[in-house]
Amino acid sequence: MSHAFSSLARDLGRAFQESTGEPWPDEVFELWARRIFAYQVETNPVYAAFAGKRGVTPSTLEHWTEIPWVPASAFKALPLVSGDASRAQRVFRTSGTTASGRRGEHHVLDLDLYRDSLIPNMRRYLYSSGAGGDEPADRRPDSGLSSDSGLSRDSGLSSDSGLSKDGPGRPILALTPDPADAPESSLSFMLGVALEELSGGEGGFFITRDGVIDTRGLDEALMEATACGTPILLAGTAFAFVHWLDELTERGRRFDLPPGSLIMETGGFKGRSRTLERPEFYASLSEAHGIPLDAIVNEYGMTEMLSQFYDAPVAATSGLALEARRHVPPPWVRTRVLDPVTLSPLPLGEPGLLCHVDLANAGSVLTILTEDLGFAVEDGFRVLGRAQGAELRGCSLAIDDLLSGGLS
Amino acid sequence: MKTTFDACHIPHLSGGPPGPPATLVWETIEISDDASVRYPVWPSDAAEGLLESLCEAGERLAYVPVFELVEGIGRVADRFLDWSDPIRREAIDFLIPTAGVSKEMASEILTGMARDWTAERITELLRRELGDPGVLDGFRRLDAGRTVRARGPLLSLHVGAGTVPGVSVTSMIRALLVKSAVLLKPGLGDVVLPVLFAKALAEEVSALSDAVAVTYWPGGSSPLESLALQRAEVVIGYGGNEAITSLRVRTPVSARFIAYHHRLSVGLVGRERLTAELAPRVARSVALAVSMFDQRGCVSPHAIYVEEGGEVAPGEWAALLASAMAEVEAEIPGGRLTTSEASAVHQMRGSAELREASGSGVRVFRSNQGFWTVILEDEMRFVPSCLNRVVSVIPTPDLGVVAASLGGIRLHLQTVAVEAAEDRQQMLAEKLSAAGATRVTSFEMAPWPPPWWHHDGASVLAGLIRWIDLETTDPGS
Repeated sequence: MSHAFSSLARDLGRAFQESTGEPWPDEVFELWARRIFAYQVETNPVYAAFAGKRGVTPSTLEHWTEIPWVPASAFKALPLVSGDASRAQRVFRTSGTTASGRRGEHHVLDLDLYRDSLIPNMRRYLYSSGAGGDEPADRRPDSGLSSDSGLSRDSGLSSDSGLSKDGPGRPILALTPDPADAPESSLSFMLGVALEELSGGEGGFFITRDGVIDTRGLDEALMEATACGTPILLAGTAFAFVHWLDELTERGRRFDLPPGSLIMETGGFKGRSRTLERPEFYASLSEAHGIPLDAIVNEYGMTEMLSQFYDAPVAATSGLALEARRHVPPPWVRTRVLDPVTLSPLPLGEPGLLCHVDLANAGSVLTILTEDLGFAVEDGFRVLGRAQGAELRGCSLAIDDLLSGGLS
Repeated sequence: MKTTFDACHIPHLSGGPPGPPATLVWETIEISDDASVRYPVWPSDAAEGLLESLCEAGERLAYVPVFELVEGIGRVADRFLDWSDPIRREAIDFLIPTAGVSKEMASEILTGMARDWTAERITELLRRELGDPGVLDGFRRLDAGRTVRARGPLLSLHVGAGTVPGVSVTSMIRALLVKSAVLLKPGLGDVVLPVLFAKALAEEVSALSDAVAVTYWPGGSSPLESLALQRAEVVIGYGGNEAITSLRVRTPVSARFIAYHHRLSVGLVGRERLTAELAPRVARSVALAVSMFDQRGCVSPHAIYVEEGGEVAPGEWAALLASAMAEVEAEIPGGRLTTSEASAVHQMRGSAELREASGSGVRVFRSNQGFWTVILEDEMRFVPSCLNRVVSVIPTPDLGVVAASLGGIRLHLQTVAVEAAEDRQQMLAEKLSAAGATRVTSFEMAPWPPPWWHHDGASVLAGLIRWIDLETTDPGS
């Protein structure tokens, strides 16, 4: 890690840790975005040339929204590193293959910065409680903000939400491989860090090195939690959950998890399991584990970004229907919704492509245009799906077909 | 103004009034901000009635002389080619919002397609495939001791892809030529031409007035689909892997199943055509081949392999191609893109521009308003285009080595457009045929295969008919 990056990462990490969870004022975000953009242009010649071709340099930049985006798929085309790539502490890789046969790679220069981004965010959404929770006082969100501001996150975890009995150390049962077995998986890494720092080491990983669910182990862990009355966090990919649900159905088995238990699902089905509509999926999860719908949380994240988004507290706050849930960016991320054709920003409610500016991506590229469709709401955005998954018109070959047709 | 198109033409059902039964409920699909498509929902009893009526029409059709059918179809084709005929204007007006193409493109497509539906062209198709088209009317002596006749299916089911407008009309015409009644479910992007064509046929050709039904339904959802799969003697499916697989498994073994799954095409430009004089002209014809159908056709090239060593280097030629793409965009503007399509272009372009910025040999030429994009690659590696006028230029030391590099798309490769000296074409075609290609042609002809082409490698009428051999003891033998 270069000196410049380590000091930037240290400062950023501190800012993440000290954040209350409320959105940062525009000028604070602007300052950070400028500093990171300038650093990236200085240390990443590819990105500098790319931005230069668009006529954007740190000195001409007027607003953070002008920082040139890179497409998420570019992580499959070449390494996007701002700093010394040979010093990357870890390379995370996307799971899916593409027509080019390449997987996306995120070279992470500083895993501590990743930790500093994911832990406060996860704590806020999955490990805090209106009744006191586990957060040290100095990190607790500003309780002075009233809950009707629409921005207050923690007051949402009210005692009737099913999240009330959470407390320090809610064990994590992860439907992912152990990070030691899957060093390229950012999700495994994330849950590994959470297991160390949020659940006090309680819990474990229940997908084997070979990619199959350790059904016996998970069964026992869930039974034990039930017997002890310990609320848990069951976390994993949507497709792993579908396989788990199928397994439970086959055995005619269900659980009654202790109140306060949560399920965190992420990542969609990716053609690796049956595809379920969200209401059906959540109803099945709820039924099979004996937890309310409000206790099921979607995490929206991607290997290409070191920050994540959760959709829980708002739903818990207002009892919104599933389809009305929204993802709220952490303070160091701003998400814009862009017109799919012109890429100009869209007003609230109009569907377009999600474009994230994630300050935690200081070591790669901070502005990313995704293939995800969504629309902006007052305090975040709703994800509608993936633009890429839709059918391309024409009798010309769709790339997905080419893949499933066996392109090697 | 919002356009609504009724994606349904139903013949006069026996015992009922013309048009679809009045009891049917209609559904509407919004396909864009300015267009929606309506379609009737067929309950089982109405579906049974329709299929029964079509099969009866198929029986009557068997007695109509083939040239009467050819002339009738040709008259309708002539109307679609006639600028003063209101049906042509109606077709173009509806194509624009429903197929998401520009007015100019709608006109190009209609002309290009309808040219091959004329009496002259389909007569030629019959001659080339059957020798004597009279075998469809009765037994004809084939050779010593053998007299033959050909019959089409009573009823054929056509499931369109969605897609390039007009493709399902071509499918319909092939079946009508062999005297099959037709039930056609067009793809959502191709509802206009089959409906208008079927209507015009009913007006022009009394023998065909009850033999063609066109009605949209969302694939897999309608009782009409499952019932039709049981009644049709031939099922013709166009589309992606999933759609084709679904149809294939539900087609009874006693019926023939003809699949046109998704294909892709590429182009080759030889160094001898890259002279200062010829290179811009080649660029122009390549730009037209790429831009036609907004590159959504199976015949549309995804990548152009350009040989090094000519007067104009591949990199310089890529710039010429970009100018030509811009010209074509001005003449025949690109259509409306769906969110997914637009997103795919942004992703592909952005990635290419980063590779360009990385100091590699990649260069990106692009429209600032439209979507056309030319990506000059720096390694010989095929990557499919995201479509909608995004084409890569791949430099190659020798056109002769291109075929061997296409192994990954062998089962999907269709047309290869070649611009090279005539004495090289045979050799290139030989290699390309081994690499999976089923058609080697020029860039000018690439978008418009003739009616008698071997569509994805097979004769287009052969799969529809059955031959009946009448074996006799020839007195001479």
